[in-house]
Amino acid sequence: MLEIKVLDPGTIALKGRLDASKAEEALVLFKKLNGPLIADFKELDYISSAGISVIIETHRRLAGSGHAFRLINMQPRVRNVFFYSGLDRVLTIE
Amino acid sequence: MERRFARDVGSLAAIFDFVTEFAARQGLTEDQRYEVDLILEELFTNLVKYSSQRIEQIAIGLERSGPRLTLVMRDFDAEEFDPTRHRPKGNGGGEAALKSGGRGLALIRKFADEVRYDYRDRNGTITVTKRLDR
Repeated sequence: MLEIKVLDPGTIALKGRLDASKAEEALVLFKKLNGPLIADFKELDYISSAGISVIIETHRRLAGSGHAFRLINMQPRVRNVFFYSGLDRVLTIE
Repeated sequence: MERRFARDVGSLAAIFDFVTEFAARQGLTEDQRYEVDLILEELFTNLVKYSSQRIEQIAIGLERSGPRLTLVMRDFDAEEFDPTRHRPKGNGGGEAALKSGGRGLALIRKFADEVRYDYRDRNGTITVTKRLDR
């Protein structure tokens, strides 16, 4: 189960699991978002490399337009996946 | 415990349910369950994406012996696909970490203690060992 709520034009909240079966659906939604973006991971329980690819693609797209993409409130297990992928020093994780 | 799953990423929900059942029986922690989910997803999606095959199911086995957890994934009548031969990209951070490819295998190596691959009679078997006491 994955839920992505657009809280306002600049903030989204992710809930559930972002795995390979949900990555395409998530990418379609992320592509609709432009401008500076904050993604609240507070209720995201699981992410895999497929989910990370969605985040990276969004980071690249927004950075290419000069916009910030901030990832906030990650649970430790989810944060570890970013850390072990070497992304904690490339993405803005708060 | 062993079960077979359709060769489709849509099977992931059933695979995670399988892990949840196993984790409850074996008393795995939430951290351990997360890592098992992740290892199985990365291996399974690699087989779905890269292994050409005729048999439409992949078998997954989970077994615990004391502090040792063994995950076995069997692919039948398949071309050889050895995940241990694929070198993951470095995860030293920086822009290199943004490149796609190999990220899943790097995560498997991070969370698993040993990954072995055996291929005979057109059947591939990936065996992952994970110690639970560290």
